Amino acid sequence: MLLTFVRNREKAIALWLKDFILTMQEFFLFSVRTFISFPKVKRYWRDVLDQATICGTDSIPIVLVSAISIGSLLAIEVGNLLEDFGAKTMLGRSTSLSVIRELGPLLMGLMLSARFGSRNGAELGAMQISEQIDALRAFGTDPVAKLVMPRLVAALIMFLPLTALSDYAGLQSAAYMAEHYHRLDPGIFWNAVYPRLAPKDFVVGFLKAPVFAIIITLVSSFNGFSARGGTAGVGRSTIKGIVVSSGLVLIANFYVSKIVLENM
Amino acid sequence: MIELRNVGLKYGDKEILKNVSLTVRDNTIKAILGPSGVGKSTILKLMLGLIKPNKGQVIVDGTDITNMKEASLYSIRRKMGMVFQGNALFDSLTISQNLGFFLRENMKLPEEEIERRVEEQIQFAGLEGYEDQLPESLSGGMRRRVAIGRALIFKPHMILFDEPTAGLDPVSSKKILSLISSLRHNNNLGAVIVTHIIDDVFNVADCVAVLYQGEIIFDDVTEKLHNAQHPFIRSILSDKILEL
Repeated sequence: MLLTFVRNREKAIALWLKDFILTMQEFFLFSVRTFISFPKVKRYWRDVLDQATICGTDSIPIVLVSAISIGSLLAIEVGNLLEDFGAKTMLGRSTSLSVIRELGPLLMGLMLSARFGSRNGAELGAMQISEQIDALRAFGTDPVAKLVMPRLVAALIMFLPLTALSDYAGLQSAAYMAEHYHRLDPGIFWNAVYPRLAPKDFVVGFLKAPVFAIIITLVSSFNGFSARGGTAGVGRSTIKGIVVSSGLVLIANFYVSKIVLENM
Repeated sequence: MIELRNVGLKYGDKEILKNVSLTVRDNTIKAILGPSGVGKSTILKLMLGLIKPNKGQVIVDGTDITNMKEASLYSIRRKMGMVFQGNALFDSLTISQNLGFFLRENMKLPEEEIERRVEEQIQFAGLEGYEDQLPESLSGGMRRRVAIGRALIFKPHMILFDEPTAGLDPVSSKKILSLISSLRHNNNLGAVIVTHIIDDVFNVADCVAVLYQGEIIFDDVTEKLHNAQHPFIRSILSDKILEL
């Protein structure tokens, strides 16, 4: 009985592994097809503009809310900590580094993973379930070029200004809290920010935007394209897209910081 | 002409099609009859190259498309129109936009010509006044007619119908069947109709292939179906409508 159980487990693991490898292979080919279709961007410029509005302009409120929240909280908590060491004047320096290098891009990435990624997964999943993607292929249109490439181009373009906006809103809210909560003179706060920021701090932060754009768009779109099993299947693929892309955003955030900071 | 030669298809361990051979000639209406879930729609997808068989060949107008790359298949697919079972209309586009979508997408036609063809299909499908409506606001029969119009607008040689009357009321079914019949008479089109409703076969098809347990058990002109001795065919002839 134990032997049967072990054999069954072995079989299940082997099947899972085979499935995982096949999915990775499909994802790789899907990504390659998306990048190969980049020359068609001129043909689908209207779709790129539509997607830029969805992932860019329409995402501004959620990016602002998250950036302002984290900037304010960071200023309050770090300010309290620095006050214990009598180093409150360093508040600008510490919050600016945290916001520009890490928290600004990371929060933006997570928010867009939830907002833009879920929209991609649900929309493309519904299209897959209702055979609209098959219809595109059946009538001679490449669904990856028509549906995925414009999303990726739009994300690559719009994630950069959104990162800048997230950084700006985070810093402004931190400055506001420094002045009104910690009674720190704005001149002291900003003086600790600007002269001390190095180019590598911006490179770390802004390099994350295209990396997150690629991860979120490709993972959520691939999951949408892979949706099976009716409306419940669309739900499953959407959730999977958000969970996987959020996880990958967190991992990529760490590695981009590590690689850039070690090499610049 | 579309030809399937000894086509076999498996999904995992499940064998969907076993050595299926079929020929669909130009200007004829061929029905593929069989119970639900037997692989009838899969045959249409094989004909379009949407899925690849595990063995055998799929030949369209003399070209072997079995292992053709996706990019090369697009020109082949434009010779055929497909009407999906669920219609597969783009739900965010109006009826006119749905009809003109693939013309704008794939054919370098002047806008006036596209509008003329859209208008032609609107009239053919009897959808005047619904041009600016979204698909969700139409009845099932109307949506099916839009899907047929969208497939016809390319002026294909062959049109593939996946369960064209499934889920429709008797009046709408009759309209769709007469629309299909008129295609060959007015447009010289060939058609493949996948169905589980035997009345549809006798109403429109010139010839019929019966798919049962992944195999073709009958392939001849429709009239000869009455003489077939296979127990499954005898049972569907007596029941008329297959069990879902």
